[in-house]
Amino acid sequence: MTVAWIGDRGVPVADAAKHAAELLVTSLCPVFSLYTDVHGTRAAIALASRVGAAYDQLDGEAVARETAQYTDKGGMFIAPGEVRRRADVVIIAGELPAAHYDLIAELANTVPDLDGGTGKRQFFLIGADTPAPGNVKATRLSCDGGVEATLAALRAQCAGRQTAREVAHFDRFAKALGEAQFPVFTFCGQSLGLLGLEMVQGLIGDINRKQRASALHLPASENGWGSTQASTWTTGFALRTGLARGFVEFDPWRFDVARMIADGEADLNLVVAGDAGSVPAGRTGLALIALAKTDKPVAGAAVTIAIGQPGIDHDAVVYSSRIGTLAAIEAKAPVELPSAAAVLRQIIEHLPHEEAQPC
Amino acid sequence: MLTRIAGGEIVDPVNGRVGKGDLWIEDETIVAALAGRQPDVTLDATGCVVMAGAIDIHSHIGGGNVNTARLLLPEQHKAHAPHPAATPLSKVGWTTFETGRLYAQMGFTTVVEPAMSPAAALHTHLELADIPIIDKATLAILGNDDFLLSMIRDKASPVMIEDYVAWTVASSRALGVKVINAGAAAAFKENVRAFSFDDVVPFYGTSSRSIVKTLQAAVGALGIPHPLHVHCNNLGIPGAPDTVAETIAAAEGLPLHLAHLQFYGYGTEGKRKFSSGALRLAELVNSTPEITIDVGQVMFGQTVTISSDVLRQFSARGTASPRKSVIYDGDANGGGVVPHNYRDDYYGSLQWAIGLELFLLIQDPWRVFFTTDHPNGAPFTAYPEIFELLMSREAREKAMDGLSKRALALSTLPDLTREYTFEEIAIMTRAAPAKLLGLKDRGHLGAGALADIAVYRKGNDIAQMFRSAALVLKNGELVVEDGIVKNYRWGKTLRLKPTPDKAMVKRLEAYHQERHGLSLNWFDFPDSAIQREQPFSEVSCNA
Repeated sequence: MTVAWIGDRGVPVADAAKHAAELLVTSLCPVFSLYTDVHGTRAAIALASRVGAAYDQLDGEAVARETAQYTDKGGMFIAPGEVRRRADVVIIAGELPAAHYDLIAELANTVPDLDGGTGKRQFFLIGADTPAPGNVKATRLSCDGGVEATLAALRAQCAGRQTAREVAHFDRFAKALGEAQFPVFTFCGQSLGLLGLEMVQGLIGDINRKQRASALHLPASENGWGSTQASTWTTGFALRTGLARGFVEFDPWRFDVARMIADGEADLNLVVAGDAGSVPAGRTGLALIALAKTDKPVAGAAVTIAIGQPGIDHDAVVYSSRIGTLAAIEAKAPVELPSAAAVLRQIIEHLPHEEAQPC
Repeated sequence: MLTRIAGGEIVDPVNGRVGKGDLWIEDETIVAALAGRQPDVTLDATGCVVMAGAIDIHSHIGGGNVNTARLLLPEQHKAHAPHPAATPLSKVGWTTFETGRLYAQMGFTTVVEPAMSPAAALHTHLELADIPIIDKATLAILGNDDFLLSMIRDKASPVMIEDYVAWTVASSRALGVKVINAGAAAAFKENVRAFSFDDVVPFYGTSSRSIVKTLQAAVGALGIPHPLHVHCNNLGIPGAPDTVAETIAAAEGLPLHLAHLQFYGYGTEGKRKFSSGALRLAELVNSTPEITIDVGQVMFGQTVTISSDVLRQFSARGTASPRKSVIYDGDANGGGVVPHNYRDDYYGSLQWAIGLELFLLIQDPWRVFFTTDHPNGAPFTAYPEIFELLMSREAREKAMDGLSKRALALSTLPDLTREYTFEEIAIMTRAAPAKLLGLKDRGHLGAGALADIAVYRKGNDIAQMFRSAALVLKNGELVVEDGIVKNYRWGKTLRLKPTPDKAMVKRLEAYHQERHGLSLNWFDFPDSAIQREQPFSEVSCNA
């Protein structure tokens, strides 16, 4: 079975890796778009450091917003296990990715056991159009202007200030909050902007003056948050980091890889994707190296190498929102396809002047 | 390969060897002098002090809270001093890679991350595995976890508790056990805002004292070499010496290690009700032989405090500088990250002085350990300056010149004349840590020891001497020459491997299924997940 291609021509993986290395070495501005596990990220950063690339999450806007919550503001957060055991009020602040619906459904189907004995869990949903994840029964809190306007009004009303817009069902919320032992807000960078994320934390800070509350981070992308962790310990910085100048630079605007491509700054895009359909279409003047699960070359790619999907085709370490940390996942259906990390390391081996690798 | 380190001044208190001589190394191991054999390599140590590689028993170098601190403070990495250009990712501050490089250049060869959340052990070990050159180890945090608190409440037998501690240590690949503000994180979740040694955790009805004593007994019974590592209650609060006194009294003849004692050294005298309690603490330690402590020295400048004492960090978030922080309610302890800038004002001057007082007033270098509680008191890169302050009264007097006179008036530091000798430094940073952690293969230069060796060129500038080791060997490999890393290698993470009791595993599986809706497998991982060849090295428990 062919698993590597140069253009449309099937080749041994070693030849494809060698050609990818040649393209990377001659590129003036290589950029990496990552959708991979922790070891794939570590290997990608090792490669980026050798060829002077910038790297980002594939489709990384939401991950960048979540990162900014930490880099710019910080906040109060809670482990999912504690939410299950303590949260007697859960406030879903904005739409959640479908990947988190099971967790919300699980919360709906259980009651807290460390909540001082109330034995029940109430749900609130912020935003008129926010879908109820997992069909959870929730009281909707909304006012004109969307999720962020509702959060702003909610915070103001909780503080006893007058607002231009009244939040529907605020009284019910205020009562629940007053009786709550440990209210928890869920948040995700997919549906909340920076101000929305900040307002959630502002509200939590207000509540913590007298009682406890916290926020459950349900990331827009589990792979993205795992990559953020690996990038941070490896380089000191989150994703959207560049290594082109011989040292590490973090700049969420400058190293926004989608922007670098759109503005014509990048001349090579190495994409690590879950499947071929997720690889962005190539552009004129932009060489494409695609690592994805595929049985045929990716259209427009100078090099395609088939890789397995983490946790499905091969064992992996990934971020798990269910436990709020990194987890080792066994392959569900192991296949022979190599991992992204293995292929990326193979590309590194073909680079000139081998140096000590940090990963 | 046979290596001779020739003509250095050997300082090896364990083996009573202090004086000029040669040191022989065969492959990874120190060997006795070999008459008639020619070395493959001779390393000239003329004019140098030769010690075992240093061991840091308490430095927050990896794990979820450490990584959150990196995430929170990108501006600090950006401002980090320039680094040698020859290393990969060389301009990066405070990464896993830099951690290994900077420690090695100072002659440190083993470092313990003292606060690993068992639930996030995989994350911690992945980070530690990315720290090059040095060996690492972790202490697993217990004492705020529902399973243990419930067992204490339900009066579980000591054997059951030992089984649980054994499982935690084994599954998290730890070298010991730490308790952090015992019970306070659980109490904070119940909206308790202050927590002392005899306060009771709501819902569980057990006190901090009871948790500490339960864990102390379990650690001893399991033969875990390192005594229970205790982060006491009331960290940073004036009057905390009372808490330390209560905790020391509760040791009742059994070994107990108290972490970063400086942060508990604040008395209540003076107009500001903030004075030095160091003399009292030192007297307590001096008179209680079962107690060991590390200092947690403060040095001036910007740093970030990282602690699993979530209650304390929540209280401190108003002082964050810059004004941002992270507070995390974890499955047990959680933690907090609060950036802090130690200024040479009244409070900062006293904190700095209290740490030095503890170093100088505690008489036995086998029981006082050299730490800044990196990065809480200062980054570990400040160690060379601290060595100088300990070894030179003149350096201390010079440093005190610019500090708050009112603060120093409430401290004994200006009157202390003691100067640490090389032998005492070797005990405090090599021999004693190895003994405390149960690492028989290091901390000394006797035949059979692991060839972890630091060679320092003697000079008037003590800080420079310790900042840039002339030579460092790790497992017999030359890794540092003239203060520059020449050879990157991957160290191992040292761990204990007690055999978990099968009944306890079954019980824990049922607990996690019922309480968390998850299999116990989620809280364990195979060594292969680290993706390094033999990432762990086993250390034996005491018989």
